[in-house]
Amino acid sequence: MSVTSVQTPRRAGRDAGPRPPVALVVVCAALAIVLLVPLGYVVSVVADVGWATLEPLIFRPRVGELLVNTVLLVVLGVPLTVLLGVGGAWLVERTTLPARRFWAVVLVAPLAIPAFVSSYGWASVVPSIHGLSGGLLVSVLAYYPLVYLPAMAAIRGLDPALEESARSLGSSSWAVFGRVVLPQLRLAVLGGGLIVALHLLAEYGAFAFIRFDTFTTAIVVQYQSTFAGPAAGALGVVLSALCLTLLIAEAGARGRARYARIGSGAPRAAVPQRLGAFTPLVLLALAALGVAAVAVPLASVVRWLGRGGGGGAWSQPELPAALTQTVLLAGGGAVAAVLVALPLAWLTARHPGPLARLLEGTSYVAASLPAIIVALALVTVTLRVLPGLYQTAFTVVLAYVMIFLPRALVPLRSGIAQAPVALEETARSLGYTPLVARLRVTLPLLVPSLAAGAALVGLGAANELTATLLLAPTGTRTLATQFWSQASAIDYPAAAPYALLLILLSVPAVALMFAQSRRWGVR
Amino acid sequence: MTTLSLAGVAKSFGRVEVLRDVSLTVPAGTRTAVVGASGSGKSTLLRLIAGFERADEGSITLGSTTLAGPGRFVAAHRRGIGYVAQDGALFPHLTVEQNVRFGLPRRHRDPARVREVMELASLDPALAGRYPHQLSGGQQQRVALARALAPRPAVVLLDEPFSALDTGLRDQTRQAVIDALEASDVTTVLVTHDHDEALSFGRQIAVIAAGRLVQSGPPSAVFDNPVSTEIAAFLGAAIVLPASTSGADGVECALGRVPVRHDRTGGGPAARLLLRPAQLGLSPANGTHNAVVEDVRPRGSHAELLLRTAGAAPVLIPLRVPAHEGPSYHAGMTVSVTVTGGGVLYPAD
Amino acid sequence: MTRRPRAALAAGLVAAALGLTACSGDGTEPDAVAAASDDTLVVYNAQHEQLTQEWADAFTEETGIEVVLRNGSDAELGNQLVQEGDRSRADVFLTENSPAMSLVENAGLLAPVDQATLDQVPEQYRPSSGLWTGIAARSTVFVYNPDELSEAELPASIMDLAGPAWKGRWGAAPGGADFQAIVSAILELEGTDATSAWLDGMKENVTVYQNNIATMKAVNAGEVPGGIIYHYYWFRDQDGTKENSGNTELHYFRNQDPGAFVSVSGGGVLASSRNQDEAQQFLAFLTGSTGQEILGTGYSMEYPVAGGVPANPALPPLDTLQAPAVDPSNLNSVEVTDLMTDAGLL
Repeated sequence: MSVTSVQTPRRAGRDAGPRPPVALVVVCAALAIVLLVPLGYVVSVVADVGWATLEPLIFRPRVGELLVNTVLLVVLGVPLTVLLGVGGAWLVERTTLPARRFWAVVLVAPLAIPAFVSSYGWASVVPSIHGLSGGLLVSVLAYYPLVYLPAMAAIRGLDPALEESARSLGSSSWAVFGRVVLPQLRLAVLGGGLIVALHLLAEYGAFAFIRFDTFTTAIVVQYQSTFAGPAAGALGVVLSALCLTLLIAEAGARGRARYARIGSGAPRAAVPQRLGAFTPLVLLALAALGVAAVAVPLASVVRWLGRGGGGGAWSQPELPAALTQTVLLAGGGAVAAVLVALPLAWLTARHPGPLARLLEGTSYVAASLPAIIVALALVTVTLRVLPGLYQTAFTVVLAYVMIFLPRALVPLRSGIAQAPVALEETARSLGYTPLVARLRVTLPLLVPSLAAGAALVGLGAANELTATLLLAPTGTRTLATQFWSQASAIDYPAAAPYALLLILLSVPAVALMFAQSRRWGVR
Repeated sequence: MTTLSLAGVAKSFGRVEVLRDVSLTVPAGTRTAVVGASGSGKSTLLRLIAGFERADEGSITLGSTTLAGPGRFVAAHRRGIGYVAQDGALFPHLTVEQNVRFGLPRRHRDPARVREVMELASLDPALAGRYPHQLSGGQQQRVALARALAPRPAVVLLDEPFSALDTGLRDQTRQAVIDALEASDVTTVLVTHDHDEALSFGRQIAVIAAGRLVQSGPPSAVFDNPVSTEIAAFLGAAIVLPASTSGADGVECALGRVPVRHDRTGGGPAARLLLRPAQLGLSPANGTHNAVVEDVRPRGSHAELLLRTAGAAPVLIPLRVPAHEGPSYHAGMTVSVTVTGGGVLYPAD
Repeated sequence: MTRRPRAALAAGLVAAALGLTACSGDGTEPDAVAAASDDTLVVYNAQHEQLTQEWADAFTEETGIEVVLRNGSDAELGNQLVQEGDRSRADVFLTENSPAMSLVENAGLLAPVDQATLDQVPEQYRPSSGLWTGIAARSTVFVYNPDELSEAELPASIMDLAGPAWKGRWGAAPGGADFQAIVSAILELEGTDATSAWLDGMKENVTVYQNNIATMKAVNAGEVPGGIIYHYYWFRDQDGTKENSGNTELHYFRNQDPGAFVSVSGGGVLASSRNQDEAQQFLAFLTGSTGQEILGTGYSMEYPVAGGVPANPALPPLDTLQAPAVDPSNLNSVEVTDLMTDAGLL
């Protein structure tokens, strides 16, 4: 058995048939076309509005400022998240750090706190927090787990014999980390770094709250001033170009190198690196990180809940409706995303080839565009082309599918890849029709993947702010939009219950992602 | 080229005692095979020598240098001990050449040395630019050996390096590795569960069972005179027959009177006699017989006979004969078994 | 393995996917927009949600007509109505400031307001077109921190704030409709060139905040000495905990300065509305005594504009503010956002 990296489950040997069924291809192509609507919107802005109108809107000092802010955010933020994520993963997986399991959980915990809630927590404690430094602080603390989880999975999957061989060849522990461990983590770090970068580009609430202007916040401001006008479109074009550039750069850096573990041999637990005299220092640093990323936002929420005065904050009339509607919309998004992901995942896992890669790539490109672009695109398209869908829950759900599809696609694809075709064939040899064989053998094997995908999408959707603000049907409030409206009116106590509910809703998904990262590691 | 010595080494993981009071000396420039069943602690022994684990008790010395002992522990990367893992553990992100020169000091990345050890390990220089996943299993193991040898280590440790290879490839790779080790004159310890591999590897064999070093010495001596019938069976096909003492020149067993080569009873009452199948000769009964053929099983290159000894307490003896002789035997046929050479005498269990 | 069954299964899965996607849409829709059934009044609300909700609840109690709000900002909802055109589901549009209402009016989307309703509102608080009406008013103020600014240092005119002396010393929320309305008044009173120059100076000087409350909070905390906001944010906080205004004072520009601009909040009925009667009733209610008293006595602290209802006694009377005369119909929101975009403030 060969173990490959988490990002690219190997498909060799699972190739059930070179030519995928026509119906599957047609459906996947149709889905891909729908998923490309936001990208089409960006292109059509350029075509529609015309370069003459766009040029002065793009090449102006304000866009320069935003570009500097946004680029600095990514250039400084991504390495910091990589440092924290990889460092944290190495500490909990490969050293004598005391209470490693405890720290492993603490390090992933910030993922349960939406970035805008973290921003609110920090603004409560340090009201003057703002600008690039503030944006970096809040976003790095919120997003480093996106590197930590894949890095942890990769380190767990790493054969300790590699590190031991390097040591026997005379490398010190630092040299082993730099020359052997880090190169093996390249895929995990690149993948995690890309996700962080895309999140940084797409984040609205956390930055708007502490007065840090990026393309996304500027697009929202433009939207509030002009609705979906050309200036918002122009900024959207630049933002989309940034996202696609990142995507291509990551694919380029990923290259063709393979990072499979070679040969058989059961992975053995690695001998942990002794921290020795550094132990107190490392513990102190981890504690500081935990306080900054988890304790500060949580303490703020709890403090404002107390300030709300004996359950006063909990008696807001909008609260139950917001909770119900969040659950309905996010649940709809989760089910829809899984069902859209199923044919795409089936195609890529069972019929790998150029066509599958193309369609799969399409879905990732679509999902790399920030929520604000998806929202602008859907507002425009539904208003102009499909007025029946304008301001409907369907459109919100569609936006969730577009934004969060990879969260369903990744677990489903590896789930299908791990459900051996041989099992279906055995069932057929025992007298079942292919359909029944698939339903009775493959489907039950996919249940965990389906559930994981749905949970991850659902909880992403429950925290979604930007697209929900723009697309939600009249009268719809979600926890995120209610939190946002209370927090931006500086009514911190009234925002606190929503913040707490958002955190509580996120916990199961984070627990799931954590468990998966640990399991993927030893597979 | 330095002598490696272990004295009183013990290691536990939690409450599980993995090694206990192991002492072993590997003379400079020689090869020793450590053999034991899985879970016997042999791999742990290797990892203690490499410095991946710390011994709880005892000391490990290399020449005049103490690597591990009371109050002293030299880290793995400072020991100058090469290590070849079970599956080679080639760095997947590096080419063959980059792997091989990994352990060479930055200033001395001599391309000649890389070529030299690759040649030593019978590796085609054309492979230098390949990545590990583009190599066969045997090539991977030879690259791993070349990599371990490149920095001229005092000792090389091999952890079941051939177990993952197919049979044919295994013999071929093993010979290439032995040749390379021979040529580089390096002190070597091999860990294996394969008795043939252990017996043919080098000057010394050390048998580990349940965390203890039960016997060590030249392979022929250990095979010839195992400390127990269990070790005897572990090292190769063994025939153990009940025996009783009757006079100075031999013992009485189901196959008649057999001389004693080694007496391990310590003067106590004799109980069991160890013979190797190669000592037994077989002919159709010619008047007298001492065994009956129970079953004949064709096994390709040979046939396996199951014999039941005659007498009051019959014993079943499996025995091989060349394939072409197989048809001359049939179940129920009486045969005469003769023993050449002596047996090893053990006390009762 | 044959290909046909595989294709059939794939098709089935996908059909299920699409079907269920559609179902999940249909399934949640009635819940999410339950209130927006045909006879419910849909209000595109750019006014403070809390105030409009108070109005809506009182209106529903009086008439039994259900009201559902779509909340947003002036310009967002105004532009949205223009893009939606005849297809809009909105019945009533309420703004905080008049420029967004003018935008919708100029797009020909408003139905004339009932004469009886117009008669309740004095002429200076409604456009001559009669296509919408003022429902409330708010005054521009300069909030400052006396620890940072003495009375002598206070700006005489809002125009002074573009000068180099004020670099880094004042805050505002240019992304909000409130500030954009103030700029539209400057544009109306001072002309394009002066406004453009003022915005350039502002870009140099201003510390940008997300909204009026954040601006006031920053002044209160001493982060910035002063800021341009509307009056009622300060009075609401003073009436409550004083948490965000305890260390601050208000400065009124008066003297018909552009900075003394009083902005009219508007209400209009969409011509495309299928609930014309109910919509007109809602406007009549807002400008009637009950609606205006909610302004005068409620938490809002905005100025009532109709029916002679007095403002909250804590506020300086509207007629003492020496506001410049500005016809609300003339305020141009599109040019303002263009100028602010050019200046790099948007």
